[in-house]
Amino acid sequence: MQKFTQSRLLIFFFLSGLLFHLNAQQSMLDVGVRLQKTVNLYVENGFSVQYSHPHFLSDKLYVGASFVTSRLGTAYHSNAIPQDNYIVSASWLFRKNHLLRPFARLNSGYFSADYGDPIFDDLSQKSLLLSPEFGVTIQPHIPLKMSFSFGYNLIAGDGLSGPGTLFPLYLQTTISWNVFKN
Amino acid sequence: MERIQKLTATISLLVSLFLFSGCDKTPPITNTMLDGEVLFDPSLYQPEFYLASYAHPTPSVAEKSKPILIASHGYSASTFEWNEFRDWSVGKGDYYLSQVLLGGHGRTYLDFKNATWHDWQTSITDEYERLVAKGYTNISFVGSSTGGTLLLELVSSGYFNGKVAPRHIFLVDPIVISSDKSLSLIGLVGPMLGYVEADNTTEEDKYWYHYRPQETLQQLMNVISKVRVDLEKGVTLPVGTSMKIYKSKHDATADAVSAVLIYRGVKTATAYKVDIDMVESNLHVFTRLLLRSNVSDADKQNQKAAFNDILNRVIE
Repeated sequence: MQKFTQSRLLIFFFLSGLLFHLNAQQSMLDVGVRLQKTVNLYVENGFSVQYSHPHFLSDKLYVGASFVTSRLGTAYHSNAIPQDNYIVSASWLFRKNHLLRPFARLNSGYFSADYGDPIFDDLSQKSLLLSPEFGVTIQPHIPLKMSFSFGYNLIAGDGLSGPGTLFPLYLQTTISWNVFKN
Repeated sequence: MERIQKLTATISLLVSLFLFSGCDKTPPITNTMLDGEVLFDPSLYQPEFYLASYAHPTPSVAEKSKPILIASHGYSASTFEWNEFRDWSVGKGDYYLSQVLLGGHGRTYLDFKNATWHDWQTSITDEYERLVAKGYTNISFVGSSTGGTLLLELVSSGYFNGKVAPRHIFLVDPIVISSDKSLSLIGLVGPMLGYVEADNTTEEDKYWYHYRPQETLQQLMNVISKVRVDLEKGVTLPVGTSMKIYKSKHDATADAVSAVLIYRGVKTATAYKVDIDMVESNLHVFTRLLLRSNVSDADKQNQKAAFNDILNRVIE
């Protein structure tokens, strides 16, 4: 138990130090909520973190991670299928220092649905995610950012393979705050 | 000035696209297709051979409690889809079968194009209401593919409230989620496509539409979306009604996840789950084997098992 506590303390101090170091160099770390609607299917909501390095394509190249789930959307208190999307991404934002910034993003990740009964165990419930995404970010001169985009899942279910509730086209909005901006 | 020229060019392009997409696109229909003006569904000429309400219009007191099964086919299909069940069941049970032709189906391409999913569904309720008006009380339903979806919608919309409750509802490969996910984009791309061509054989073209107008695909999307949302909210069967789902596990038309959504979304009046059989098959509407190539022994066994199960439940 003592070892476990020490490890957690070490991780805490490491992350705190890392955040302080990044902050000191005016990195961008946008933390926010992601609201997503698949065309003709579910609303899936969750969280998003996007990071841009201060010395490498600063405020142009962002790497990030997102998690969206129907549990926080259509499947909340309904019979819809609970399904989770774990996403990592790389984004390129054009027009630095402008209010409206078009962007292109490539997402990859992991999709997992829970059909809820062993009788459906033979059906595909998991998949790789791969999607290009295009949109625009509104970036006023405050830490707030809002992005609107559409993405296209290149891997979708087809009845013979892949989860049936993995649909191609989705729209998403992310509202985030740059936690490093003073 | 350059910006204005670019804007004008963009608007011109959009207007052209709009006008082009608004053009009528008529497919090259031949007289050997159901789509044409020569071949029609035979139930239109001889309804007494297909509908119990026409075949037995004046039932005796005993006949009024005789089991009746109303069978409805899928999108773009015809009464042919349930011919095998009719032929197989001869002499196997004392019941009446009504093979309903969905509204807008089995006629011309234009009739199909102009029909809504409500029109498709009306044929089912018309036959049910004719039978009820004649005094029949033991009525069950079976629907394949979209036929099953339309039955689900009847339940979820409360159509049976205050009416003679169905005894059984059987769903064979019902569609709530399409396997072809491009159907979810039909509202965006449909007007540009005009119609979609089906991969039918020449013989199948006599019983299924070869060309599917984008308007009908939008109607299909509308009804499966409505039923999906209804299932998310929860659907309760009428008192005394049972339901069984038969779903092919590998189905290139109705995604097997459709069965998951129905199983999660429908409860009996006593709050029990409905019956389900996930069938090891790669056919859509696995109960129809006529005109298919490469029918395996397993396919025949699946068909026979489903037929037996449906008939036994209907006449029990």
